[in-house]
Amino acid sequence: MLRVGLDLGSSYTKGVLVDAEGGIVDAFVRRTGYDYREAAREILERLSVGRRVDAPVFTCGYGREQVDGPIEPCTEIVALTRAVHALYPRAVDVLDIGGQDMKFIRLTAAGAIDSFRLNPKCAAGTGSFVEEAALRLGVDVAAFDALARAAEEPVRIGSYCTVFAVSEMLGALKNGAPLAGVVLGIYESVVDRATSLAALQGDLVLTGGLVAHHPRLVDLFRRRVPRVDAPARSQLLAAYGCALPRAVDASPRDRDA
Amino acid sequence: VVSQSIVTPERLQSTAALKQTMDGYYQRLLEASQTGRQRVAWCTSVGPAELLYSLGFAVYFPENHAAILGASKTADRYIPRAVAAGYSAEVCSYLTSDVGALLCDETPLSARGFRGVPRPDVLVYNTNQCHEVQDWFELYGRRFGAPVLGVHTPLGLEEVDEATVEYVAGQLRGLVQPLERVARRGFDPEAFAQAVGRSREASVLWRRVLETARSRPAPLTFFDASVHMGPIVVMRGTQPAIDYYAGLLAELEGRVSAGVAAVPGELRRVYWDGMPIWFKLSALSRFFAERRTSVVASTYCNSWVFDPLDPARPFESSARAYCELFIARSERFKLGALQKMAADFAVDGVLFHDARTCARNSNGRFALPGRLREVTGLPTLEIQGDMNDARCYSEEQSKMAIETFLDQLGAR
Repeated sequence: MLRVGLDLGSSYTKGVLVDAEGGIVDAFVRRTGYDYREAAREILERLSVGRRVDAPVFTCGYGREQVDGPIEPCTEIVALTRAVHALYPRAVDVLDIGGQDMKFIRLTAAGAIDSFRLNPKCAAGTGSFVEEAALRLGVDVAAFDALARAAEEPVRIGSYCTVFAVSEMLGALKNGAPLAGVVLGIYESVVDRATSLAALQGDLVLTGGLVAHHPRLVDLFRRRVPRVDAPARSQLLAAYGCALPRAVDASPRDRDA
Repeated sequence: VVSQSIVTPERLQSTAALKQTMDGYYQRLLEASQTGRQRVAWCTSVGPAELLYSLGFAVYFPENHAAILGASKTADRYIPRAVAAGYSAEVCSYLTSDVGALLCDETPLSARGFRGVPRPDVLVYNTNQCHEVQDWFELYGRRFGAPVLGVHTPLGLEEVDEATVEYVAGQLRGLVQPLERVARRGFDPEAFAQAVGRSREASVLWRRVLETARSRPAPLTFFDASVHMGPIVVMRGTQPAIDYYAGLLAELEGRVSAGVAAVPGELRRVYWDGMPIWFKLSALSRFFAERRTSVVASTYCNSWVFDPLDPARPFESSARAYCELFIARSERFKLGALQKMAADFAVDGVLFHDARTCARNSNGRFALPGRLREVTGLPTLEIQGDMNDARCYSEEQSKMAIETFLDQLGAR
């Protein structure tokens, strides 16, 4: 039995092939682009090479309904919750930073959602913000992590709006601030934004593409919140969670019983 | 797992009577503005309508007009016009859409034969809901050269004490003389008492209408109530409002005894705090219904329940009724009120809609959801949006959040 989980996000579509024991057999990620169906089709094709995968396809994310064939959609928060609880079977806080969303989820010891909160309708502090900054600074976003590690001091960025924040960075560079400090400042502003979503109590699990691609962020979170963990391949977690077999994903009620 | 089968909300038979009742209101308003036989007063939605009706005015409510702009999805065309004229996009989108429509010289009332909004002979506001209505009315007062009168209500009230009631009742009495001049007739205490009596009667019927949703399954949702609240807003103090709600109540009581649900197969019950999202009202109504969720009660629709009104003491009781408004109260009072509503309507969770341009009706801004969770143990959800400005609302994000929330409620 091989189940496919697809997380059709605003920036990237993530596909995971999960076996009956809940192990990841294969995974594939691509930019979503403008056509969710095409993104889903390509990933499904790649995951199906030489294998027979089961229907339906389990989907989550903004494009969760935009997939041809039989699907079982759920929201990415529900999917993420299942995955996180499978990895951390205790009460934890989750911060998920994606392409345009930032989500805070508080999970009970049984893996149920206690409460959750999304970023207000503004993408500051998300993946899009970091990508926009890289684009306007003319720096490969893949170089950000190393730059941030080399920085001595962050250049504090105060603007609330991504466009103005980048103008602020350009202004700082013009006045002689080092690029590394600006990049660290970008990271700090992500952490500022994320930690204002909720009063974090510790035992924090960081997920989503931004942290996966910018591991330096994890260290910065650790300076502010006790007990921070970032699971490997965390960009895939929501896709993984929606495909998790029910045996692994016992409902909260079953667990309590 | 959320049920995805297609379930549509049950339509109320009274919708035809609602249309007739509202048609009658607009017809009277149209005649007044065309013939000049009746003077026209503009009034805020929780302003002193009874006093105005008792003085023979035809009463027009710009907030009702603005809500129509929202529900008809035309507000987005008008808001930028008001912004271009110097109004901030952060102020009340009722104001900006209404002012923008004026600047475009357009109104949905033209479909009813109006050539523009009815010209005011006087404008009367009450700040019990917000202070922006004052600026809104001042603009029209300047434009039409009409006097603007106001009642200033103390806000953040824990309890409405006698001193506050006296203060506001004094202001209401102070309106009489200037209104007599505009009305060209003398104040008739008996007529005022009768208007207050009729207002109370309509208000009690409206409360009973809303309370039918305590039944399981609920015969009425917040989305229905947002549509059927028209008469209690614009005809408070007049007979047609009483007649309409008597009929609506009978239909709903019939539904209750027959076990008819507004949302067929009701599984979950949710409370809605904050403004309706007018431009998504029907879409959200379907969205919840498809997920077998009944939004059974709301702060908003309950804001037109005025039990203290008493024809024996019309000024004092009006003052009290209009000060006891939810949004004029303290955070502690609000917490208690929401706690009671959640229990009375047996809801599974509480949704807070934060309307970007309506701080006063966005009750999550001082951490109330967290306190409500503590005292009730009920899950809460905050979504970002607006009553009229669609740019403040992310549909995808909100749907995802609501769906997750319903899943969360289902797992409890």
